[in-house]
Amino acid sequence: MIEIHLYGNLRALVSGSNASEDTVLKLEFVENETFAQFTGRLGLTPADLGDCFINGNLAKADYVLADGDRIGLFPFNMVLLCGGQHLKGHGYTRDDVDVDYY
Amino acid sequence: MSKILRIDMSDLSHKWEAVPKEYEILAGRAFTSAVVNKEVEPMSHPLRENNMFVISPGLLAGTPAPSSGRLSVGAKSPLTGGIKEANAGGLTADRLARIGIRGIIIDGAPSRGSKDWYSIVVRKDNCEIVKTNNYADKGLYELIGKIWKDYPVKPGIIGCGIAGQRLMKCAGVFGNNPENTDPGRYAGRGGLGAVLGSKRIVAIISDSTGGEIPTPKDKERFDRGRKALREALDKHPVTGKLTSDDGKPFGGLKNYGTNILQNILNEAGGLPSMGFSSGRFDGAAKISGEAVHELVDKTKKKFGDAAEASYAHACHPGCVMRCSNAVPYEKTGKLHVSPLEYESAWALGTNLGIGVLHDVAELNRLCNDLGLDTIEAGNTLAMLMEGGLIKYGDGPGAIKALKEAYSTDSALGRLVCSGTQTAGEALGVTRIPVVKGQALPAYDPRPIRGIGVTYATTTMGADHTAGYTIAAEILGIKGTVTDPRALNKAELSRAFQATTAYIDATGYCLFIAFCILDDDDGFKGMTDSVNGFLGKDIDVTEYGMAILKNERAFNKNAGFTEKDDRLPEFFRTEPLPPHNVTFDVTDAELDAVFKGM
Repeated sequence: MIEIHLYGNLRALVSGSNASEDTVLKLEFVENETFAQFTGRLGLTPADLGDCFINGNLAKADYVLADGDRIGLFPFNMVLLCGGQHLKGHGYTRDDVDVDYY
Repeated sequence: MSKILRIDMSDLSHKWEAVPKEYEILAGRAFTSAVVNKEVEPMSHPLRENNMFVISPGLLAGTPAPSSGRLSVGAKSPLTGGIKEANAGGLTADRLARIGIRGIIIDGAPSRGSKDWYSIVVRKDNCEIVKTNNYADKGLYELIGKIWKDYPVKPGIIGCGIAGQRLMKCAGVFGNNPENTDPGRYAGRGGLGAVLGSKRIVAIISDSTGGEIPTPKDKERFDRGRKALREALDKHPVTGKLTSDDGKPFGGLKNYGTNILQNILNEAGGLPSMGFSSGRFDGAAKISGEAVHELVDKTKKKFGDAAEASYAHACHPGCVMRCSNAVPYEKTGKLHVSPLEYESAWALGTNLGIGVLHDVAELNRLCNDLGLDTIEAGNTLAMLMEGGLIKYGDGPGAIKALKEAYSTDSALGRLVCSGTQTAGEALGVTRIPVVKGQALPAYDPRPIRGIGVTYATTTMGADHTAGYTIAAEILGIKGTVTDPRALNKAELSRAFQATTAYIDATGYCLFIAFCILDDDDGFKGMTDSVNGFLGKDIDVTEYGMAILKNERAFNKNAGFTEKDDRLPEFFRTEPLPPHNVTFDVTDAELDAVFKGM
């Protein structure tokens, strides 16, 4: 089982959710699934996503999920307050990722 | 023509001076730190007559440069015993800049035993020191309303509340917001409100009648720069517009304010909760920026235009990022507190285990009314919890304790205003989260070690704004980084501290950094606007380092050594869940940050 905590406009993936409660979605674990494939399963593209976390670590596209992982999904406009978004290399937030540092 | 106003509170006199050559390009933090280092006796008692209180609008304050209206205040800090600069939005920077004031330097104090309270009224080419005993011992919501009635020219106001008047170390310097509905624009940190109190000053009232917009030396370059910066800010997902062209929520700060971080740091496992005992808080969502956004929408729907609720609220005239908010009472739609920032929601909520938005807003309102720094007051309340006087999570208990601060004869009331270290020691607490006597803000230094390096090494005492490495560390930065964990924390922290000092001097809000680090056009816009205004090129890092040098020199002369650049022991010995890591940066690495400076 994968536990997904949803924020911002992604909360809409769970009907009846509201912003002052935890919005948690539980999905079946799929063997050998990467984070990118997993978000695809939810119908999300990299452009939809901001900074996301797996067990408190920054989510990277090629990370292979393990059973029991906790995923925090933030939309494109919810990111750590910082600069360097387009160069973070995780492939999200901006379309014009020109360098992959990871 | 800009000038300096000197006030001597020992004989209630004042005089005007031209800006000397050595201060020619200094403003904001660069000005306050230069003056404090040069003129304040480092071993003086911060709450006696030999300390000074220095005020300076940022270099571009009062101009049309976007988000450039920050005001710096500086002094020797009663909380840390070292140099302090704190800055805030509000109206005062704009008002002072428009009447050509580069800085106000307040020296001396009325003779001991003097019972009178004063306010300073500054106008174009005119200064009055007025006896205002009727302004003292008042809640600040009431006070700012009264001052706008007494001076119906929409003046900027800064000053100290009850806490500062009683010389308490949690006292911040308040400022009125542009609408004058809340005294919540705080230059909060370091207990500088108490320095004003020690000089028997309640308020500094600035009236810009007859003033004018400061003129840049190279107008063409200045205009080009500010427009490029504006454009970069508007299109950035953090600082950008409220909604995108198709009407969907866009800019993170406008929609959720700084408290957007509550949920993000919680997911990252770096959100210190219950007195720095966990990196996650199960009540985070309830007090998050998203929850405030939802409450504002709900209140507006119910009360329409009568609702005193907003996000995308500007903290000073001309702010384009507008990260402030106004949190309403759910039942009436009336204003509860403005703003509720991330650091405040953390200090008064997460850190106390309080996950009730109303209680957190109420604690913040009480801080604003009493004249308290929310970060220091929240950490002090946490010491009351660690010490067993209140239970973690007890919102009504914390509110009751803070209300004691209004009473003139309550020992508990004094304790909650006395600062984290003083209160912790008084209550036998051994987990006291301070550096140089100043409490840590809302990022745990165990999983996010670079910010720990900043907390430890900045001259200011634990301060996230002194070198905000958070995102760089968690996410990596431009250029050479392959894994953020491999970053050289010392180098990272030093670079951020120098750039921050520069931004703090320009009057630009530090949050422009989110965009300028992303966007080369935005960065050039910033430097063009500054260089165009000055009519000469200055180097960002060099200018910033010069500020840091002044600050470090003062602290050294005040008796600080590298042994003061350390985090409390428990961060090295108590692992923080969920990552279960400790702060493991070595002392040698900490000392490397400013080696040879």
